Amino acid sequence: MAVFYRIAIQSSIYGCRSMSMFPKHFGDPLRKKDMEDLNKSELTKFYHIPIKAALNNHSDTVFSDEIKLKMMNYITKNGNKALARGLLSRTFEIIKRAQTERLHLSPTDKQNVNTNAEKLLIEAVENSRPLLQLTSIKRGGVNYQVPVPITKKRSYFLAMKWLLDAAFEKDKKVCLPERLAWEILDAAHGQGRVIKKKDDVHKQCESNRAYAHYRWS
Amino acid sequence: MSKTMALRVFGLNLVKTNRSLLQNACKATALPAGQTVAEASYATEVTVHASPAAIQKQKVSKAMKAYLKRATEHDEFMKTQHLEFQIGKRHLANMMGADAETFTQEDIDEAISYLFPSGLYDPKARPAMKTPEEVFPARKAAEFDETGRPFHSMFYTGKPNFFQLLHEIVEETNKLYELEERMLRRGIKPDENQKLEIAGFQVLPKDQLETQLVESIADIEYTNFSNSMDRLIASPYAYKSKAFIERYLKPLMDQSKQLEVPKPKIDEQGRQYITTYECLRKTARADVTVRMPGTGKISINGQDVSYFEDENSREQLLFPLNYSELLGKVDVEANVEGGGPSGQSGAIRWGIAMCLRSFVDQEMIESMRLAGLLTRDYRRRERKKFGQEGARRKYTWKKR
Repeated sequence: MAVFYRIAIQSSIYGCRSMSMFPKHFGDPLRKKDMEDLNKSELTKFYHIPIKAALNNHSDTVFSDEIKLKMMNYITKNGNKALARGLLSRTFEIIKRAQTERLHLSPTDKQNVNTNAEKLLIEAVENSRPLLQLTSIKRGGVNYQVPVPITKKRSYFLAMKWLLDAAFEKDKKVCLPERLAWEILDAAHGQGRVIKKKDDVHKQCESNRAYAHYRWS
Repeated sequence: MSKTMALRVFGLNLVKTNRSLLQNACKATALPAGQTVAEASYATEVTVHASPAAIQKQKVSKAMKAYLKRATEHDEFMKTQHLEFQIGKRHLANMMGADAETFTQEDIDEAISYLFPSGLYDPKARPAMKTPEEVFPARKAAEFDETGRPFHSMFYTGKPNFFQLLHEIVEETNKLYELEERMLRRGIKPDENQKLEIAGFQVLPKDQLETQLVESIADIEYTNFSNSMDRLIASPYAYKSKAFIERYLKPLMDQSKQLEVPKPKIDEQGRQYITTYECLRKTARADVTVRMPGTGKISINGQDVSYFEDENSREQLLFPLNYSELLGKVDVEANVEGGGPSGQSGAIRWGIAMCLRSFVDQEMIESMRLAGLLTRDYRRRERKKFGQEGARRKYTWKKR
């Protein structure tokens, strides 16, 4: 494999295109946070593993966050990521402004008002993550709606998709950042359409619990 | 043991050894049969026993005759090859005006690449001259005696060395299991200090194992080998059979020490600086100079960071500076051409990271490597394929 790597480097110098992927034995780049969590003996394992290059949207600042990056990807349409980035930062600005206004209106409970827009987004996504999902399974010629637990990754995906869907559904005259900002604020406070949707899904799963055994029998 | 003698591999004095084998066999007295002593090196030596006196008088088997014929043929072939190689070497040395006696393999390679320049892409396809031992791989010596009886109990598996190795691994593992149980009964725990460290090692790759065993093995057989090695290594008393395990391990290269860190030069203002040429990413190409100490000035093709209009590219540019906490302490100058904004900023990012190695300590370099800053991103756009919509995506297909 090391040979492949060398060939790949050579070919890129000579302008010959061959590789579009890193070989399998390359490890994913680590974040500084992860490195601090690992102790020394665990880190020594990485000494001998070649690491993939960091992606072009990676950066190890305090502002970098995985959910933020994912959200940016989900907003993107037709590969226009620069626009998506602008929209998301505009959303954060609106959230920040709204929260600051709220902070000034009610100086009594300053602790309860969160003005960190990035934290609010994470909170909103965490609040709207579903635990279960209904899938239709055919047993004896009849389709049953069976509640099935979903993976962590999918639950994050659904939460962000619902947030965006709710934002896109709103009035077209208002720009997306504003609509999204209000959805995020609502979800972060445990209310609004997305949280209702999550609760609905959970309720349906609860009512269909009798079919749960069809998952394996 | 005294009656056993080594039969060397084909090509290495085989005729002589075979002759002496036969002589030895004639001289030999009775020997307890089935006593095989094979050391780890499968390729170089295969032990041969003199057969009992009763069998001696029998005729030499057909298989042995055929083998001897093949052996002599091969030996003669290798002899001529050796001779030709020596003559070739002499000619090359004369052509290059060097002394033929002290002409090494390196000199040969150099002379060949000078006299026969080749534009072929694959190094294997270019002209080369090597010793016959390297060109013609080692072959197994006779695995049976004059009467045609195989020495090895696993001869008929077709891969006796490989299966012998598997047996040995399992034997070692069982020994360690027994030891573990005995120690458990006595309440003794394994020594933590002596624990086998295999972080920098790797089980022998398939091709190397094959050359060591002089047998070609299937993929699944190699998986069996590596699995049983893993089981052996996982044992808490693995350090007891360290010598055995190390024979089938290969040391790995330390990644961060592979590239030498250049020493910074001094410019006319007395500042340290370092330049990285040929920073490549996608189709962009850049030269990056980092000066220390500085004020955090960044100039790209004569402009500042606003050379990049989108935020992402600017952020990418600052990634290595931010990561090594040298933002505002060094000056960066970059010349970049070709490609788009993302590729250009990626090229400069790699250049800055490579330069910064000279200004930070070893720990930081390793940290930067783990963050993926020091890896050349050689990925390119994958081509569109015919019959497909893009590189991977297929056209929608409807049966009816």
